[in-house]
Amino acid sequence: MRTTARVTVPIVLVVSVSLFLQGHNLPGGGFIGGVLTAAAFVLIYVAHDLDYLESGVLGRQVESGTSVFEHRTVTAYRRTLLAGLVIVLGSGFAGILAGDPFLTQGYVHLEGVPIYHEVELASALAFDLGVYLVVVGSLLTIVSVVSGE
Amino acid sequence: MAPDLTVISTAVALPFAAAALSPLLYRVLGERTGYAGAVVAAASFGLLATGIGEYGTVGVPWVPALDVGIRFTVDGWGLLFALLASGIGVLVFVYSAAYMHGEEGLARYYAALLAFMGSILGVALASDLVSIFLFWELTSLCSFVLIGHYTEDDGSRYSARMAMVVTVGGGLCLLAGLLMLAAAARGALGGATFDLTAMIANDEAMRAALRESGLFVPALGLIVVAAAAKSAQVPLHFWLPNAMVAPTPVSAFLHSATMVKVGVYFLGRVRPLLMSPEWVLLVATLGLLTMTVGALLAVASTDTKELLAYSTASHLGLMVAGFGFDVVYGGEAGAFHLLNHALFKAPLFLVAGIVAHEAGSRDLDDLGGLWRELPITAAITAVAALSMAGIPPFNGFYSKELLFEATYEVAHEAGGVAWLYPAAATLASVLTVVYSVKFLALFFGERRAPVAEVHRPPLALVAPPAALAAAAAVVSVAPQLAVDAVVQGAVDATATGEAQLEVGLPTHLSPPVAMSAVAVFGGAAAYPLRERLAAGVRRGVDAPIPVRPSGWYDWIVSTAALTSVRFGSAVHNGLLRTYVGWVAAAGSLFALAGFAAAGASLGVDGVGGIGVPLAVAVVLGVATLAGVAVATASSHVSGVLTLSILGFMLAIFFILASAPDLALTQLVVETLVLLVFLLVLQRLPSFYADVRPLAVARDAGVSILVGATAFVSVLLTMPGPDTEPTSVATYYTEQAIPGGGGANVVNVILVDFRAFDTLGELLVVTIAAIAVLVLVTMRTRGEAVTEGDEEAVLDGGDSP
Repeated sequence: MRTTARVTVPIVLVVSVSLFLQGHNLPGGGFIGGVLTAAAFVLIYVAHDLDYLESGVLGRQVESGTSVFEHRTVTAYRRTLLAGLVIVLGSGFAGILAGDPFLTQGYVHLEGVPIYHEVELASALAFDLGVYLVVVGSLLTIVSVVSGE
Repeated sequence: MAPDLTVISTAVALPFAAAALSPLLYRVLGERTGYAGAVVAAASFGLLATGIGEYGTVGVPWVPALDVGIRFTVDGWGLLFALLASGIGVLVFVYSAAYMHGEEGLARYYAALLAFMGSILGVALASDLVSIFLFWELTSLCSFVLIGHYTEDDGSRYSARMAMVVTVGGGLCLLAGLLMLAAAARGALGGATFDLTAMIANDEAMRAALRESGLFVPALGLIVVAAAAKSAQVPLHFWLPNAMVAPTPVSAFLHSATMVKVGVYFLGRVRPLLMSPEWVLLVATLGLLTMTVGALLAVASTDTKELLAYSTASHLGLMVAGFGFDVVYGGEAGAFHLLNHALFKAPLFLVAGIVAHEAGSRDLDDLGGLWRELPITAAITAVAALSMAGIPPFNGFYSKELLFEATYEVAHEAGGVAWLYPAAATLASVLTVVYSVKFLALFFGERRAPVAEVHRPPLALVAPPAALAAAAAVVSVAPQLAVDAVVQGAVDATATGEAQLEVGLPTHLSPPVAMSAVAVFGGAAAYPLRERLAAGVRRGVDAPIPVRPSGWYDWIVSTAALTSVRFGSAVHNGLLRTYVGWVAAAGSLFALAGFAAAGASLGVDGVGGIGVPLAVAVVLGVATLAGVAVATASSHVSGVLTLSILGFMLAIFFILASAPDLALTQLVVETLVLLVFLLVLQRLPSFYADVRPLAVARDAGVSILVGATAFVSVLLTMPGPDTEPTSVATYYTEQAIPGGGGANVVNVILVDFRAFDTLGELLVVTIAAIAVLVLVTMRTRGEAVTEGDEEAVLDGGDSP
């Protein structure tokens, strides 16, 4: 199980990010990408435990004995959730600053970018990033709190 | 000349602004906040006083489509009421500063008092039904806060709640009545409007429209009930004496001079609109009944404030009765008595406060002969009490005489039973004399007081009632002066026809004058018998519940509370599966009933035409088998696995149906759910209980119902295979690239076209996360939460 996780988790994460990025033109998007990322993290939980991310991946000392609510990763997930909401609302209000109605989206084509040659930059991507973060944050908060019980 | 909108709206808004600032003011000024409140009231009074004579309607639109607006109508009637409220407000604030010395919660007290004054000004001047209702309910809310000022006291809380239930319940009746008026105005005035002034201007058409739609009597009844609840008319009078637990300045301000008059005010306002035989029968009878009952109860009272409370109900009855009669004198009596009553009742309450403060008692039996120590207060009381009794030439006499004339005229014309009107009015007036003298006896006769030495009250306590008594004296000496200044305008606004108010002392003997004489001399003769009278009334009051409205109130409240408790524990039994069963079954039933009511027919013949490819049939077949396997699974592990098969089959079906986004989502969510199940699986109990056949049958029934609903919904909402895409679908498909810059239509819709929906969904996801956090936190506090809770919330958050 752990070996499988070691191999699959990076692949799942890369796929999820690519799903998120290509979402505007191909199947994918912030929601799907977010759920997939969450699935990758849950896989780690199933294979290891709640502390593994900190002790095994980041190499930090884990304070034992704290309740799941003060757990550092859970706090991080909550912050992710919050950041996602802020980005979503911020991208919505940015349109107001430009004189458009709330949540108006626009896009520009950037040409001459190295490697990609042409990149389309849609403001919707910011919104989608918010969606992604909210989904990741809330799902992982739920899962880690529930599994912590 | 039209009034100035800025002036009027400033006068109304100023008290609210001051109320919002009052915590700050209190921090700076301390107990002197009362004087600041007096300044605010004086400013409003001054602003309004500039508007005397400038009558008209001004306003700005609020909801133009419904013709709802912030509209103010300045006319004599509204202005009289507004000036009374702000003028007495000045005095009450000054009085409060001294009376509430050393009390707690003064910031809240002044905030509520200021907000209350603003709402009264709003009711008095608003011309729009919506704003009238809002201000009306605001007065009830402020009254609730003020009656319950002593929050630690059980009696105080009980009384505040009672006042709230009765007056806000009346307010709901008002809302219904006003909506009926608005509905009638749509037909009568050619378009939706909430403008009361316009309705009154077209009263004939309004009455015709109301009659035509059969709403006349219901609207009339509802408005009268609302006014009766607010103005303490029988049988809804019982909250007023209880409201006397409030601090005395509040009683003087709200429960004698202003709030309780809102009902009377509004009856006067709609009198030209609703005048009809039904109105006369209902309103005049109600008024005279209250006048008599209130006077009887006042005679039986032993507490100063209770006596004044019942007498207030009685005098409100006088005004209501005046407005009830369809004769010129009636409207004059109501309008003029509004002023006179405020001028004599407010000082009497303030005097009761002084006596309670200085002599330490409110019991009429304990007090007497206080004029030696409180000479100025005694003089004030003499003027006010004689005015209340209607002794000529005090001001209360004039308006009461007008009512006598009205009753006499009506009885003379109608004859028969209508003679009960003047009889009741005279009887009530006899009793009024009795209780007025009873109150006055506080200061005369043998000296009795619970304290040895009664102190002189400070100037801030004596000056306000003195100012009011002086105003009453001025009106007594020169009534025509007051009439010309503002009362004539009020009479014009409430009259059904032309009315020219002439007042003065009677010069020759007429039947109404004889009624007054009977009242005065009868009262004087009955005074020695007051104890026996009071004993008789008390025997009646102590009768079993059916004749005591407050008993009804207690019964309704306690029964409602008990039923709620039982209902709550029956419905909210803490078992999640019960909730799910109820919600699912009820939702399905409603949906099916909705389809049936809409007359939807199942297009079965259209379904047969869809060719089902073999691949789809196989996938769906496996999904169905998996579904059956879930229900019959012997262990959790196999159940979860078969459930996943079902989910993955659906994902494949989505791919076959060329919906890659849905398929992706389904796959990912399915994976996640499977992983989560793995996490919690070991925590689930492996064995619940022996399965009861009845429960299985119930669950199966609910399941089939939900399934049937889903099936029928899909069948009904699904477009046929050959139909064109709807215009919305076409628009999204065409605009995805030029408008959203993305080739994935689903995603462009999610993040661009319908980004607001997505925002809402994100909030749902967030709330789900927070809910889980809260649930788990509560669990550690010893609250029993089943594992199912978390699952349910998780799944709820997953669905896109």
